[in-house]
Amino acid sequence: MTDATPSPAAPAAADIEVIDVSRWYGNVVAVNGISFSIGAGITGLLGPNGAGKSTLIHMLSGFLRPSAGSVRVLGQPTWGNEHVYRQIGLVEAREAVYPFLTGREFVVLSARLHGLPRPEKAAARAIAIADLESVQDRPTGGYSKGMKQRIKIAAAVVHDPQVLLLDEPFSGADPSQRLRMMDILKGMAQQGKTILFSSHILEEVERLAENVLVIVGGRLAASGDFHAIRKLMTDRPHVFTVRSSDDRRLASALMNDPSVSGVELDSGAMRVRTSEFAAFTMAAPRVARAQAVTLFEVLPADESLESVFAYLVRR
Amino acid sequence: MNRDIFWLTIRELAGRRRLALVVLLGVLPSLVSVAYRLGDQNTAAARWTADTLLYNVIITIFLPLVALIFGTSALGSEVEDGTAIFLLSKPVTRGSVISAKLMAAWALTAVFVVPAASVSGAIAIWGTPEQGIITGFVVACVLGALAYDSLFVMLSAFTTRALFVGLAYVFIWEGIINSIFSGTRFFSIRQCCLGVAALISSAPEETFSANLSGLESIVILAVAVVVPVWAAVRLLRMYQVGESG
Repeated sequence: MTDATPSPAAPAAADIEVIDVSRWYGNVVAVNGISFSIGAGITGLLGPNGAGKSTLIHMLSGFLRPSAGSVRVLGQPTWGNEHVYRQIGLVEAREAVYPFLTGREFVVLSARLHGLPRPEKAAARAIAIADLESVQDRPTGGYSKGMKQRIKIAAAVVHDPQVLLLDEPFSGADPSQRLRMMDILKGMAQQGKTILFSSHILEEVERLAENVLVIVGGRLAASGDFHAIRKLMTDRPHVFTVRSSDDRRLASALMNDPSVSGVELDSGAMRVRTSEFAAFTMAAPRVARAQAVTLFEVLPADESLESVFAYLVRR
Repeated sequence: MNRDIFWLTIRELAGRRRLALVVLLGVLPSLVSVAYRLGDQNTAAARWTADTLLYNVIITIFLPLVALIFGTSALGSEVEDGTAIFLLSKPVTRGSVISAKLMAAWALTAVFVVPAASVSGAIAIWGTPEQGIITGFVVACVLGALAYDSLFVMLSAFTTRALFVGLAYVFIWEGIINSIFSGTRFFSIRQCCLGVAALISSAPEETFSANLSGLESIVILAVAVVVPVWAAVRLLRMYQVGESG
């Protein structure tokens, strides 16, 4: 596992504590010996599909029993403890709303089930946060996917929980809805709430999260400050495929550039290794111009998120 | 019982297609009665009403089918579409959830079965002393509905195939096994309903008779409610979402 330093993902007052947690289904290990603790602010749970993000969120929200280890939210175990929901808001990945209820009825129901003294007022506040006043009297069955996500967020925050857990909250939302939801979560974080959301999209986490947990194959690959982890991801060894008017000439010139760690000449293509992504992309055209070589193509190879995650796991 | 969950479940169960199906089923017993009245009426009206109409049509087919439709959907549809997580992520005891779901399913089952039994029974027995037959079967339907719904709500907390398991119970266990092995009557809600009807009715044995006494029927029905409800609450406390990414 990679620990980005400094690591604000483990603040002193941790609202969520996960200690050596594993979860398996028969012989399949979904989550394997994960430990972390997070406090106020936004933490992104990043990983490719099938990495174990939803399994982890379900264990945190008390909907899956850990096969081993312990999960505590605000000092309480979540499994089999319905009282913990007074302080937790949960937004599930599934598009599950009661289609016959209007948006307002849905949020008021949530407020009533939380036993709030003035459910209508609390619902109005939550709907305003989600910016859905204009459609609150329409049945949720007719909402778009993004609107459903937002009404689910309104229902999840109606009781002003200290901890908000969201599983792939931006999935299916259009860019403007995505930005609106991000604003909602940032606003809550500024009020000192602890927010954990899962995503398999690096850019979503980059835009929103101060801290990040990277999970790959059920293991915690990295945790800590997002920018430190992003730097690790960027500065990992990269391979570029380069095509030019004179590959041999360009290869020997590139070998002398400090950003290049190796060059391979293959049949009709040149493969350049570098651990400095940005520096190389600046150097390649400069060196080519100096050598009077025309660049046809500079293509980063193997830039999939899976390969980035795999690199973090290997470290 | 949580009233918000009760009304939510009523609204959820009262979907147009589901109601249309149950209303259609509910009209059939009255049509059968009308057909009987228009026919030769060779069988004594009281006996036909009790034995053929209220037992073989209402108690044996209509009641368990309606209870199956509402009982398995009350919780099962939410487990299936994922809204169960919305409900269960609230600080509401699992006992409150189950009791609200059960009461909603029971209320709707009774709303359809009681008029179907009363109206079809009244048409069939018109002009003949009623002898508490309709009253007995209506009470039996109400109690039987509670027992069936308890069982089906519990099944939906246990398996996503509650509808098939429920159908197997009604038509294989109660329909076939019960008719072959008389000892299994103690495990049949249908036989208990007959026992309750016989307890209330003053009709002679040749009109209709039960295999269980009234007391046995009531005790078994009580057990058939309490045990599934207890099991459903336990199952809901252990509720886990399926394997996920």
